[in-house]
Amino acid sequence: MSKHMTEWLNAYLDGELRGLRLHDVEAHLEECRACQEELQSLRGLSVLLQEVPVPGFISPERLAAQVNLRLPHQQTATPRKRILEIGWWMIPVGLLATWIFINTSFLVSDILSAASNLGLLTSISDWLFISSSGEAYWSSTLGQFGFLSGNSLDWIASTEAFTRTSIPQITFQASIALLYLSWIAIWWVRRRHQVHGKLLEG
Amino acid sequence: MTTPTAINETELVTRAQNGERNAFSELVCIHAQGVLNVIYRMCGDVHIAEDAAQETFIQAWSHLSSYQPQTSLRNWLYRIAVNAATDILRKEKRILPNALEDLQLKDPQPGPEALFFQQERTSLVQKAVLSLPDACRAVLVLREYEGMSYHEIADALDIPVGTVMSRLNYARSLLRNRLERQLLRVEAENV
Repeated sequence: MSKHMTEWLNAYLDGELRGLRLHDVEAHLEECRACQEELQSLRGLSVLLQEVPVPGFISPERLAAQVNLRLPHQQTATPRKRILEIGWWMIPVGLLATWIFINTSFLVSDILSAASNLGLLTSISDWLFISSSGEAYWSSTLGQFGFLSGNSLDWIASTEAFTRTSIPQITFQASIALLYLSWIAIWWVRRRHQVHGKLLEG
Repeated sequence: MTTPTAINETELVTRAQNGERNAFSELVCIHAQGVLNVIYRMCGDVHIAEDAAQETFIQAWSHLSSYQPQTSLRNWLYRIAVNAATDILRKEKRILPNALEDLQLKDPQPGPEALFFQQERTSLVQKAVLSLPDACRAVLVLREYEGMSYHEIADALDIPVGTVMSRLNYARSLLRNRLERQLLRVEAENV
């Protein structure tokens, strides 16, 4: 006789078995007394459970009326509102993604510049920094024409280098921070408004 | 094939999603009995079942925009109902059936002793069901009392079909062990 099929008897009792598995269980049940008794016991349990009656509840109409009285006044979201709501929650995600992207770009740019300065990227630096070749520092132009020289030229050059690299970074970061803070402020005002509305409804 | 009832229900859902309270009330009427039954089987108290059913429908109204009409509304409501019942049980620290007089005792034929024995048996079965772990009880209730298929239960409770099977096996095995012991004891006391 094949192995007992007790694990499949519940599914068999519930009519959930199909195909080969059903055939296997039925064939096994024909010859296995232990599994027949197990199945009988499961049937008995099911009958016993059905003996527990449900009490009389309030009528569906009365329940519906009670529910209706307690429903929030605010209408549920229409598809358009839903899209706006999703868009609203995408704003901080978008800001975060932009912030990560910009910072990564600056980081990569800094790493490449450092590597280039150290001579590690000699073979690819020509095409990698092709865009920067067209940009001439105005401080060096001033130096060429003799308007600046010595320490003052160095100071102006370092200031210009700082403004060229750091100012855009600071501007981007500040813009994103400002947008994010504005979003939080609007979210807070909306939330406060909603809580106030709920209190009034209550 | 889509039945006229299903078409009607889909239409009611669409109207309710657009904020029509009357349409939602009709949906409540359609599903009230099922939701009440499920919650009652989960917690064993009529009044709490009625309160939890109200909560279920209010939550359904609040989240109606997230309901997708191509899925079963009944399964979706049952999921909310099971969660509502579980929350209530957690808050109330388990409710035991204290109102057996609520249960139908319609059959006038049995004598007082048979009636007492029947009442005792019903009480034991109900207590045994209520003593099951929440997750197993939910599966058992949906299968035994609502007659739902394993796939429907899986859909309603958002669990895999394999989990439905294992929970049902476990629930029935626990129930049989407990009931066999207790019913034998009651029978021995009544002999």
